[in-house]
Amino acid sequence: MLGIAGAVSAAPPLPEMSHTLTALKPAKAAKDFSLPDLDGKPHRLSDYRGKVVLVNFWATWCPPCRREMPSMERLSQRLKDQPFVILGINQQEDPERVFVFTAQVDPSPNFPILFDPNSKVAHAWGVLGLPASFIVDQQGRVVYRAMGGREFDHPEIERAIRGLLKNERLKK
Amino acid sequence: MKTHRALIPALLILLPSIAQAAELTQHRDPESGLLSWKQVDRGFSLELIQLLPDLVKALYTSRGLPQSVVDGMAPYCVFGSVVQNHSGGELSYRVADWRYVTADGKKHPLKTKIQWLADWKKQGSDFGWSILPAAMTFDTGDWAQGFTTVRLPPESHFDLIYSWRHHGKHYTSTLKNLICAPAQQPVPAP
Repeated sequence: MLGIAGAVSAAPPLPEMSHTLTALKPAKAAKDFSLPDLDGKPHRLSDYRGKVVLVNFWATWCPPCRREMPSMERLSQRLKDQPFVILGINQQEDPERVFVFTAQVDPSPNFPILFDPNSKVAHAWGVLGLPASFIVDQQGRVVYRAMGGREFDHPEIERAIRGLLKNERLKK
Repeated sequence: MKTHRALIPALLILLPSIAQAAELTQHRDPESGLLSWKQVDRGFSLELIQLLPDLVKALYTSRGLPQSVVDGMAPYCVFGSVVQNHSGGELSYRVADWRYVTADGKKHPLKTKIQWLADWKKQGSDFGWSILPAAMTFDTGDWAQGFTTVRLPPESHFDLIYSWRHHGKHYTSTLKNLICAPAQQPVPAP
């Protein structure tokens, strides 16, 4: 039953970043929250109604969170003319630490980084591990979920988001 | 010809187990000298990465956690762990079902995230994100990471019996001869 793929090798490969999204059927209403950004300005999820929102729970010490952040910024740049927003919700870290970290990310995130100091929002959203991401549609429903790191600018993820954006345009 | 005919039933029995063979890879980090193991078995992947006690201590200290929390980790051998779902369907696991087997053959439960959180709550602290989720149901492509903790001294050898559920079936696999990280970083070979 056990196949050993060779002797001890030198360099452990980093875990593969996947690009799958789990469609939630039926979609459920996203729990609203209001959290401050780096400047202390509050962001309420329901204020983004009418836009597609990628909600990402993360922390600076979490390796896959660090790896996926540049891909979120690239996705944000590709969809900058669309009603699409990313909210990166940091868990239990102080703004100074996060500011230093985001300055080192290439490309550096231009989307709002919010602070969930006691993880109340993460727990309310049923997050068990970091990173965890959810895509909320224009009606405020969670339609996709992704647990673990993702390559967010992968064509399949971009296609799923563009699909949500297109559906809304067709309804109008 | 008769021999060949006799082999066919044996091959038919063997084929499913060949298709389900677990694949184990082991790595040694060239800089730190630390080991990691990754086993993919029937759609469930588990990777354990040795972590030096000082690194674990530094992580908890840098979070500003109480000294009692930092000290509480000291008797444990800590691994970075990654679980991934490659099954093509939904899969679930419960760390409470897993056991580590020490050299004397005894099986021991692992301390789960729920148990760590209960301890830390008493000390006014919560850094639960650092521990591998105690139980998860996740879809293909999903993964989770966090610490797996085993109450053993540095350089202890043990086996880990772990399990998961997929399509209503319970599966079990074993990672054999795992080794806790040494107390200090190994000196690289010349």
